[in-house]
Amino acid sequence: MREPIAPPFDIPDIITYAVPGFVVLILIEMIYVRLARKGRYQVADSAASLSMGLGNQIAGLLFGGMVIASYFFVSHFRLFDLGWTWPVMLACFFAEDCAYYWFHRIAHERRWWWASHVIHHSSQHYNLTTALRQTWTGAISFSFIFWLPLVFVGFPPEMVLMFQAISLVYQFWIHTEAIDRMGPLEWVMNTPSHHRVHHAINPKYLDANYAGVLIIWDRMFGTFVPEDKSEPLRYGIITQLGTFNPFRVAFHEWAGIARDLGGAKSLREVLGYLFGPPGWSPDGSRKTSASIKAAWAAQNPSAVPAE
Amino acid sequence: MSTWFILAGSAAVVVLMIAAAAALGFRQRARLDEAEISRFAAAEGLNVEQAAIGEGARSAVARLSGGKILVVRVMGDGLSARVAPASATRIGLRGARVRIEFADVGFPPLNLQFNDAPPAWLADLAQGAAR
Repeated sequence: MREPIAPPFDIPDIITYAVPGFVVLILIEMIYVRLARKGRYQVADSAASLSMGLGNQIAGLLFGGMVIASYFFVSHFRLFDLGWTWPVMLACFFAEDCAYYWFHRIAHERRWWWASHVIHHSSQHYNLTTALRQTWTGAISFSFIFWLPLVFVGFPPEMVLMFQAISLVYQFWIHTEAIDRMGPLEWVMNTPSHHRVHHAINPKYLDANYAGVLIIWDRMFGTFVPEDKSEPLRYGIITQLGTFNPFRVAFHEWAGIARDLGGAKSLREVLGYLFGPPGWSPDGSRKTSASIKAAWAAQNPSAVPAE
Repeated sequence: MSTWFILAGSAAVVVLMIAAAAALGFRQRARLDEAEISRFAAAEGLNVEQAAIGEGARSAVARLSGGKILVVRVMGDGLSARVAPASATRIGLRGARVRIEFADVGFPPLNLQFNDAPPAWLADLAQGAAR
């Protein structure tokens, strides 16, 4: 077993230092929405989103140590000693962003991880407070396993954690309707336009644009859908929540899984309810993203999105 | 910075943001009317047979074709709805007040208050759902 290679500099608490910036940007966006009437805020919705953010912070304090311990544990068995050099950091940035893409994609495609991630999508609004509507159960649902291969290859744990924090901070500002398209940046970067598509529940937009910082992964793996200005976006989830209660928001999908498992009649049903697509049911009677998109595509054969 | 200091600061920021949103007037409410009820029913490919909107137009219930019921509640400036077989819900009547419960944790029990007695079809539905 080898000790991880320590960073040659002190890594600041990136997210904590970003919080004042978050506050200022939210206030600016609120004032802009009020004056320009572009975008939407609603006080109860924002209160729920911000409460979820606070709860996420508490969950991080309770369970974050488990994530960090896992990274350091796996690092002992790493394949290579990738030190703290600029080329390695550059490679780590891309690797982390790619890992985020796959985590995010699977978080939408598999109910176990969707049960945590659905929280982030449960607002019918799309503004900067939505960015802070974060899960309380990410660590305990083992979302961090998608980054373990990076540590196993040899990227230092602190380096991976640093780029995860940078990605999280980057993704804050793209949760806005106040910014339109951004020219050539749209080709490479994840932008407000691309991420609006990701949060939309219009059938043509379901399961698209999973990017963190770079949109290139969606373009490479076939999940990129551009924003269509001719069709107003509707935000939230297919079955909109009927509550602003943070505890119901945090645990509703887990409760749904528990209820389904209680009625499962076979191992196939247990696995389907746990790891099938959200909406999976043994008889196919419930709606999944795929079935909704297929029904929409059948009715709109000429409107199937293409880049 | 200590953990408690950071958490207390975050909580204070949350309160500040909510106060700012309220001060800026973001307290708008969605309109719930029969057209919205019909729209939700149509999205499921069903028709509205009977509908009742509670006092203050904050929630509504409808009997749909196919033996299903639709409930809608105002969520700030949005709406949230559920469609379920009548047999999958629990409907309770007490005077002019109706309570409809679902298994879905994401949609808490819906309470409707009526000026007078609830419509007769809703009372019938309650008796049918209770059986």
